[in-house]
Amino acid sequence: MAFRQHKLGAAGVGLMLGFSMMITLFGPSNDFRSGVSTWVGLDKQLSLGRLIGFSYEDPTVSGEGKPITVILDKDPKTGAAIDPPVRAYVYKAGTKFSPGINHNELLGPGVEELSTGIGKIGSASMSSGAVFTVSKGEFNGEEVDYIENTTATRGWTPDAALRTAGDENTRYVGKGKTIYITEGCWWCHTLLPEQTQDWQAFGAPPFLGDFNGEMPTAFGSDRKAPDILHVAARNSSREWMTMHFFNPRLVQPNSIMPRFNYLWGRTDINGNPIDIKAWSKEYDEYLAGNRIYPPEVPEPARDSEVRALIDWVLTSLK
Amino acid sequence: MLMKYLFAKNDEIPAGSATIFFGFSSIFWFVVGTGLGSFNAAKLAFPDWVTGTELFAFGHMRQVHVLAVIVGWISMAFGMTMMYMTPALGNTRLWSEKLGLWTVFLWNVGLSLGLILLWMGITSGREYSDLIWPIDLVVIFGVLVPLGINVWMTIAHRKTQGIYITNWFFGACIFMVTITILVGQSPEIFNLTGLTEAYLTFWHAHNLLGLWITPVAAGIAYYTIPKLTGNPLYSHRIGHLHFWAIIAFYSTPASHHLMSAPLPEWLKSFASVEGVLILIPAVAFVANILLTMKGKWSLFVENLETKFSITGVLLAIPLNMQGGFQQTRAINWYVHGTGWIVAHAHLALLGMSSFLEAAAVYFGLQQMLRRKLYSLTLGNLHYWFFIIGFCIYWISMTIAGLIQGAGKIYEVPYIDVVVAEHPYMIARWVGGTMVFTGNVVWLYNMWMTAREGTLVPEGRYPHELAYER
Amino acid sequence: MGFKMDQPLYSLSDEQEQDEILKMWESEKHGGLWEGNNRLPMPMVILMALIILTAFMITMPIWGQRPTAAIYQDHIKLMESPEVQRLATPEEKMKYVADTAMQMAKSKGDSRLVGDLERHPLTWDDLLNIAPGIKEVQSGKSKYAIDNYTVLGDRIVLANFEGNFVKSSPAFNGPGGMKSGADDYRERKQPWWDRGYSIDVFYVSYFCLVVAFIVKRLPHFSRKPNMAKAK
Repeated sequence: MAFRQHKLGAAGVGLMLGFSMMITLFGPSNDFRSGVSTWVGLDKQLSLGRLIGFSYEDPTVSGEGKPITVILDKDPKTGAAIDPPVRAYVYKAGTKFSPGINHNELLGPGVEELSTGIGKIGSASMSSGAVFTVSKGEFNGEEVDYIENTTATRGWTPDAALRTAGDENTRYVGKGKTIYITEGCWWCHTLLPEQTQDWQAFGAPPFLGDFNGEMPTAFGSDRKAPDILHVAARNSSREWMTMHFFNPRLVQPNSIMPRFNYLWGRTDINGNPIDIKAWSKEYDEYLAGNRIYPPEVPEPARDSEVRALIDWVLTSLK
Repeated sequence: MLMKYLFAKNDEIPAGSATIFFGFSSIFWFVVGTGLGSFNAAKLAFPDWVTGTELFAFGHMRQVHVLAVIVGWISMAFGMTMMYMTPALGNTRLWSEKLGLWTVFLWNVGLSLGLILLWMGITSGREYSDLIWPIDLVVIFGVLVPLGINVWMTIAHRKTQGIYITNWFFGACIFMVTITILVGQSPEIFNLTGLTEAYLTFWHAHNLLGLWITPVAAGIAYYTIPKLTGNPLYSHRIGHLHFWAIIAFYSTPASHHLMSAPLPEWLKSFASVEGVLILIPAVAFVANILLTMKGKWSLFVENLETKFSITGVLLAIPLNMQGGFQQTRAINWYVHGTGWIVAHAHLALLGMSSFLEAAAVYFGLQQMLRRKLYSLTLGNLHYWFFIIGFCIYWISMTIAGLIQGAGKIYEVPYIDVVVAEHPYMIARWVGGTMVFTGNVVWLYNMWMTAREGTLVPEGRYPHELAYER
Repeated sequence: MGFKMDQPLYSLSDEQEQDEILKMWESEKHGGLWEGNNRLPMPMVILMALIILTAFMITMPIWGQRPTAAIYQDHIKLMESPEVQRLATPEEKMKYVADTAMQMAKSKGDSRLVGDLERHPLTWDDLLNIAPGIKEVQSGKSKYAIDNYTVLGDRIVLANFEGNFVKSSPAFNGPGGMKSGADDYRERKQPWWDRGYSIDVFYVSYFCLVVAFIVKRLPHFSRKPNMAKAK
């Protein structure tokens, strides 16, 4: 009889915890699976790629190997005009596909059938790259958005799409969200307007199906700053964003957001070196009243991290 | 010295070595963690303080603070208490002192590595699971499993018939936190996405606190209070009620962290009932400990370790009152995402939990070193810096949170909330810095204790000698 | 089975009872499930019951529930009335609509509606945005009733609740009438038996049962082991 308390105890703990896990983990798994991807959900997963944060293809979490979002106003193959312009997601050769392409069941009923059927996403190949768009179709009498593999359906190739779009219509959304994660923006900003009160100030809360295929969701829990799920709908000025990231107090004197001037890298868009120390000195003179205007904010280089971050904010957070 | 013991034969390692290394590591990480906290608070109060480099950017430092405190200080203090309480309560020796030393070694190496990576921005971007999954595997297989084996084997080889409640907590919580981390990391390893990922992130975050940080701290109090006061525990049965209620009710309400996300509503209803039921273990715990103190309340004033311990237990009362009710639909919409929650989290980690562990680390280190505390004055200084700093922090963040909540529901432009919160951000920094200062004093005091503290004769307890010369 | 109060710091059980527990603990089978067990101290039982009661009461659907689209029904009716059309600015219009709707709610004596309206004010633009959705539901195009919808941003959407099962036609459509037809659906509002609560009731009862068995079979910790029996 002696010395058996720990055996019974271990079994008891296991049973109790197992039961609790059954309710809280197994219980809702069906509900999660039933979410049908919305346009937002499809746009998110196609523009963000396989996963943000540490992964095999991006071990230093610098935003490499992510898809590129382009706005096309011409057909890359035929050159015919497209009106209104369409958003396309360019996966260069070797870029890992977003989860829904390989695991179609993540797309949800309806979207899955259309994407694999008329969308032909099954024929996309990681080694040669692909260009995807989100198209509208009909399933069982209801309108659904689905993924179209335009490389198969219209012959758009990644290179052609990037060339047609040009730099001004290219948005480094996947890299931008990566910067959002590594720089810890989500420690203060949330991506989850609350269902009860927030929507008048911060816009609509996200819907079921807005997240399918997104990882990490980075809702944030500790709000020291405004919710930014729809920030681009409130303020879509690239100039404002640029100044605000360089030093938020240039445009909002009471802000407590850190300066993200280090995201500019070493040089600006024209290849001129950026001297942050000199800038700060001039800015301090401006604060002291010795200058009328604050110093100019350098224009970010094409491959700078802040360019990608602003791209993501202005493209995804509408 | 650690290196020497890592490759020594188990029998040649003096008993208590693991405790001592764990103890000093935990205090070291506490100093680091609170130092980072104070630095971060300064950045919130004065955003133009250190700028121009990503190394000292708030977004790079914030998670390092959180994990240094949770995995470094709190969990290592748990490891330390497990190394000496488990054998003491089983009337036996630690199963393997060598394994314990390896655990503390791997823990420090793994944690340092993980924190440096986080600092550089190599993160998984998931709250409380920020460490990238390879590091998490180190945490599980290099730290928790060896620690667990040591504790489980010590319990299994005990020379008492019953298992004391503290050991129930230790044994079960190591198992449960291992499961929690495994499940919590699965989205990264298996690339689970969307709402599943969001839910598992908070399932992990909730259970990390609920099945590890608060219950183990409570388990520690079940040892320290009877030991320090000489009173037997008021009721072992109520202790068991506490234990089983923790497993049942603390492991279930994870979804109350996502009341506003499009999770299934039934899950939220379920979670908010379970959330209030957290009061059952809380009431059992607080009642049990405070009743144990009966007749010995003078020790709350006279004895340093009791002072720390009882402060922690008293802080558990507001902690659970907040925790039980703030997650219901009726209150959550007001306080969710505000500084109120930050205050609540610090009440749990810096208030209730840290005070209980500090008592156990004070007590255990003196016990294992067989040396009396170097300076009681410095000890008291630590206590008062700690409690006053904590109260400043807690109260200021609670007020800031209420302002923020009001701003949220009355649609006040956010920048006005920022302006209104500014004084409380400064207060938060002052409070955090006081805690940090106190901890620096503590580290010095403990270091001097190890080197110069008066030796305690066989058969006496260090705390009995506190006022003797 | 009484309580012994003279040595409360040691135990509430008397010596004889302690002895019985120990004897049982030495000899019992199956964790003491079947032998005469002892109670938890009564105050703890009462406190536990109180907490369980509070937990269910405070999370009842009546508290802090999200507003359904139904609370703005009066707004929609009012916004097209000639009184409102005559007003010039959106602010004036909204003030009139909100005040009148509040009056109507108060005259109905529905304190829940009054509270919801107080907590969830709207701007005129918001109202214009959600009006078409509410009208569409009211016109009967949707099989769901208006209170199955929540207002989220500028849209009204079906809530995530799983409510009562609604059979589209009362006709017999299977053995016992239980077979679900293609058009049957679940209401999207919180029912009194909400799945979460139901699981809670079950879970709490299970907990009490398990803990009763586990806790009651433990002897006092000061029990010294009988090492002769140990292996």
